[in-house]
Amino acid sequence: MSSVKEQLIENLIEEDKVSQNKVTIVGTGAVGMACAICILLKDLADELALIDVVADKLKGETMDLQHGSLFFNTPKIISGKDYSVSANSRLVIITAGARQQEGESRLNLVQRNVDIMKSAIPAIVQNSPDCKMLIVSNPVDILTYVVWKLSGLPATRVIGSGCNLDSARFRYLIGQKLGVHPSSCHGWIIGEHGDSSVPLWSGVNVAGVALKSLDPKLGTDSDKDSWKNIHKEVVGSAYEIIKLKGYTSWGIGLSVTDLVKSILKNLRRVHPVSTMVKGSYGIKEEIFLSIPCVLGRNGVSDVVKVNLNSEEEALFKKSASTLWNIQKDLKF
Amino acid sequence: MATLMEKLIAPVAEEEGKVPNHKITVEAIGQVSMACTISILGKSLTAEFALVDVLEDKLKGEMMDLQHKGLFLQTPKILADKDYSVTANSKIVVVSAGGERHLNLVQRNINVFKLITAQIVKYNPNCIIIAVSNPADILTFVTWKPSGLPNSCHRWILGEHGNSSMAVWSGVNVATVSLQEVNPEMGIDNDSENWKEVHKMVVESAYEVIKLKEYTNWATQLSVADLLESMLKNLSRNHPVSTMVKGMYGIENEVFLSLPCILNKLKDKEVDQLKNSIQKNLKEL
Repeated sequence: MSSVKEQLIENLIEEDKVSQNKVTIVGTGAVGMACAICILLKDLADELALIDVVADKLKGETMDLQHGSLFFNTPKIISGKDYSVSANSRLVIITAGARQQEGESRLNLVQRNVDIMKSAIPAIVQNSPDCKMLIVSNPVDILTYVVWKLSGLPATRVIGSGCNLDSARFRYLIGQKLGVHPSSCHGWIIGEHGDSSVPLWSGVNVAGVALKSLDPKLGTDSDKDSWKNIHKEVVGSAYEIIKLKGYTSWGIGLSVTDLVKSILKNLRRVHPVSTMVKGSYGIKEEIFLSIPCVLGRNGVSDVVKVNLNSEEEALFKKSASTLWNIQKDLKF
Repeated sequence: MATLMEKLIAPVAEEEGKVPNHKITVEAIGQVSMACTISILGKSLTAEFALVDVLEDKLKGEMMDLQHKGLFLQTPKILADKDYSVTANSKIVVVSAGGERHLNLVQRNINVFKLITAQIVKYNPNCIIIAVSNPADILTFVTWKPSGLPNSCHRWILGEHGNSSMAVWSGVNVATVSLQEVNPEMGIDNDSENWKEVHKMVVESAYEVIKLKEYTNWATQLSVADLLESMLKNLSRNHPVSTMVKGMYGIENEVFLSLPCILNKLKDKEVDQLKNSIQKNLKEL
């Protein structure tokens, strides 16, 4: 007696089960789930895999997404504790990581993350040898270095989310001040993600008109309009959001999705993301910092040669030495 | 001395009207409401969006987390406040009042719901309220009864699960081919393929997800955003939502149950009726 399926559907060719645009997200906390929902809403992947160590939460979150399948266009959503679920990924997003304990040094936090990632990263690469890796966990510039070291992948395929979100915030705040949508306000924050990031004031423009040409004091302490405060606000906003709601999620989710779009669709858009900068700006060590990178299907294919003034270059060098001071003592 | 702004930008037209077109407000900032929020923003359903809740800090945090990402969104105006005036001029307000699942807590749900609705209606007499709460069908009745609206005007209320929901097996089809015609036993106990299990899984799945992650939000809120899209874009799509069924199927009482409904923009005449009945309702409250 044939089943309903056999009576209803005539199979013509074997189903090709190999996905073309698979994304894996490691970590199903607030950040991981925000990335997941934003990627699903933008129809970027044809398969989504979630990995976490907390089995129940992982299964619950996966089921909840699967139940919404009618409303989006990603036919396969899977999950598991084992890294084999990530097999054949184009892109693997790392959001998992140890959280900083009170009074803990950055070196200690990073070392704990190294220990966590020691088994995870090689397993990911083994399952998806051609993948790109996008690191979100903080401190992102150091962890991008750590993941790169553990993965054995070329540096162009290991990308840190870096200053993409900082720059988005920067453009939003500039837009607010001018009454213009952020996408029409161009501004770049590069360097170390966090307190020592570098706003490129000379590049801030609307329709090609450099704001600094209208006000040479832009971004300096003597600027009457206090544009410098915009950068301060960018640096402080993450702390403020964490203080108010306990964590940040939507911002980073949207920013990561923007990067995923460029990579999976080979858009070759330019983003300020964390990449290996040894050999540039007088940096001699293996350091990852955000500079404008062309992102496409192979990761970072080109970088834009930004002219830094002496002050900006000094900040870069300072970040590099701070990061190297931590990186050099890490045990892999 | 001209400011930078004056040097950069020259206004050429009078400022356009400030009344938003399709403003959507989401009440509350729990897991459910925030999933609804990101679904609405991700689908770019509106140009103005407001969040309202009494938890000031968390509200501000959520607002900043979304607002600062204006670059990635097509919703230029995102507001948040604990004062309901921030919701003014909304076309649609999504409320996640209550949140209690058991029937014996219905009264509590209803009381919370009444309070919130009164505040919303104060600033938005013409809006559509979508409540994402349980128990769904009872809450729909509670909203409708005092309003005096005709049966054709229904409140769209969703629930996550209904233990006594019904699967319409005769309607299950793929490309016009009815599955029940292929397998006449489909959906009943004798069925060797046990299709009935599919419905059972639907009923139980919400409980299962709650057991694993303590709540459900993604699927339900994606479905809410889907309904909003039908309404805002006047799509006249069919959705199984809770509506008044007295007089149908031999039902004699004023009961709300889900049936396939065509959803589109509320017609003007119905909006006025709603307005009048709500004014009356407010006085009673």
